Amino acid sequence: MAAPATDVAPQETAYAAEHDGSDLLVVENLKKHFPVTRGIIFQKQIAAVKAVDGVSFSVRQGETLGVVGESGCGKSTMARCIMRLLDATDGRIVFDGRDITRLSRVEMRPFRREMMMIFQDPYASLNPRKRVGFIVAEALEVHKLGTEAEIKRRVQELLDVVGLNPEHYNRFPHEFSGGQRQRIGVARALAVNPKLIVCDEPVSALDVSVQAQILNLLKDLQSSFGLTYIFIAHDLNVVRHISDRVMVMYLGHAVEIAPKSRLYAEPKHPYTGALLSAVPVPDPEAARTKKKIVLEGDVPSPINPPSGCWFHPRCPRFREGHCDVETPPLYSFSDGQFAACHYPLERWPLTEEELRHPSSGRAS
Amino acid sequence: MALLEVRDLKTHFRTDDGIVKAVDGVSFSIEKGKTLGIVGESGSGKSVTCLTIMGLNPKRNTISSGEAIFNGQNLLTMSSSDLREIRGNDIAMIFQDPMTSLNPVHRIGHQLVEAIQLHRDVSKKQARARALELLKAVGIPRAERRIDDYPHQFSGGMRQRVMIAMALVNDPDLLIADEPTTALDVTTQAQILKLMTTLQREFDSAIIMITHDLGVIAEIADDVVVMYAARVAEQGNVDALFTRPQHPYTWGLLGSLPRLDTDVDRLVQIQGQPPSLLNPPRGCRFHPRCPYVMGICKTEEPHLMPVDGDRTHTQACHLDQTTKDREAEKLLAGTMAEAS
Repeated sequence: MAAPATDVAPQETAYAAEHDGSDLLVVENLKKHFPVTRGIIFQKQIAAVKAVDGVSFSVRQGETLGVVGESGCGKSTMARCIMRLLDATDGRIVFDGRDITRLSRVEMRPFRREMMMIFQDPYASLNPRKRVGFIVAEALEVHKLGTEAEIKRRVQELLDVVGLNPEHYNRFPHEFSGGQRQRIGVARALAVNPKLIVCDEPVSALDVSVQAQILNLLKDLQSSFGLTYIFIAHDLNVVRHISDRVMVMYLGHAVEIAPKSRLYAEPKHPYTGALLSAVPVPDPEAARTKKKIVLEGDVPSPINPPSGCWFHPRCPRFREGHCDVETPPLYSFSDGQFAACHYPLERWPLTEEELRHPSSGRAS
Repeated sequence: MALLEVRDLKTHFRTDDGIVKAVDGVSFSIEKGKTLGIVGESGSGKSVTCLTIMGLNPKRNTISSGEAIFNGQNLLTMSSSDLREIRGNDIAMIFQDPMTSLNPVHRIGHQLVEAIQLHRDVSKKQARARALELLKAVGIPRAERRIDDYPHQFSGGMRQRVMIAMALVNDPDLLIADEPTTALDVTTQAQILKLMTTLQREFDSAIIMITHDLGVIAEIADDVVVMYAARVAEQGNVDALFTRPQHPYTWGLLGSLPRLDTDVDRLVQIQGQPPSLLNPPRGCRFHPRCPYVMGICKTEEPHLMPVDGDRTHTQACHLDQTTKDREAEKLLAGTMAEAS
């Protein structure tokens, strides 16, 4: 059954309505465009890569927001903008009640302690020439949190918390395996007691058994320290396991945001449906009977994105004259589910026939 | 008769630190038109197994033994020129990373034509026509124009399609795919898997699919080999393996997988790290990480035994059958009960 239609809400107000002061992070209409230039001395901008093009969402204290999407959809760029590692082209980032979008380096410094990041590749994100103790302690030293002895004690405590031997603080990263290195990355992120940790594909480079260790560790740490996570991944299984709410991105836009129970049980956006049906399920019986939506083609270039709905060139529900003309806003459904589609999925799973012929649109 | 029969395959590498037993007694067979999945963690020897079959290990430092009978011939004792005839013609391979396995300075058309002319006595024009036909078969849009593009002009999924086209140029009987979808997004992965199964039906080739993703295995494999630390831990039909897994390592793999169809609070995790193959543990190689470890596991190496007399489903674990069935049931019930 289709969720009862509610009023069309422009993106910002949809979130403002939800906003009740418990949000740790509010992102409004975030845009990041990278210029494409021509010429060596006189660089002339000829186009822009619209890596992130108007994303709004909020993250509550203590929750995990999962962000999924294919490579190139802008999820990592978005994370870097939130961390202020990149400057946003437009939009607002409000962290803990304060607008941090345009803060200077100096003004930003106290906030750097509050938000930390865990990176994808544990081989590339740890300096090979520094000892583990130094890597974990660096942020503590930068923020002058304690004397040398206190910092050393804190580092050993952190190593213990993430399941490494505290005696190993004098070792170099190459002496650890991939999973252990990722634990070092987690310890580093935890060092300054941050409120928000942005995890950018933290388990993608790991084997499944090790991946489970890291996911369990992240969950344990969340419950003991009340952490808030933004968890970026392309693996929908992993995101489902760890998230409270999930945001699906496509071509620099959020196409659907919903609590995980809603998103996985009743996706509204056809792209979400396609992603879900594409995930291999480790059950041979189900795999044989499952209907798949196999998308044609590739993700279009963010330099020259399609008109109207960004997904329309690959969408099985595409309606000419509507989808390619009018950009869908984030429509609101029940239970905090939002999807940017003129012809949202009525139910899930759908037959091929129902997928191609929507019963009725949210048409204007 | 099986298309490929591998018996007691061993590949050892001489290194400065000693002998690394990368593959240490692996046997399996595959029929025409079937798909065999090989799963295991990094370093379990799954890729080396296939490189050995293809004769692609460096000659220096490698000691291989055992048999790999392909169409009645032992690939391991064959001369390099005979093997070259078979490679790319009867057996083809698709690698994980399509960017590094295509030559970046040649147009893809040229690379395909080269592969055809190596094995066929055809003119360049005919070879090019064949290349074009294959690019269309693997679903490259506007193939007439893209055939003269360079690899960097293709996206990841498209490059993998080109790799598949190249592997198929000579209608191989056996296609070995080493993690062909690992570097790809789920939607692209779905496209590639669909393409592989369609082509398999069309050409009736056998596929050996190496992957660490049990989801992919469930989707396309007929038979599965689970490898752990250079040996086979469990082996069987895909249904048997997923409905009645018998080895604690298989349980660990299944339990550590977060899945779409179930909700669990904590994932089962396999403690510790895979062992070093320079100096593997005595007894059962899984025993240092196994939650069911017994005294015998530390001293005596378990052999592959049929499950309930079923010769197609074998496992190497000392646990008794009742315990295994109970634990397997618990694992499956755990994932089923919480499915909502």
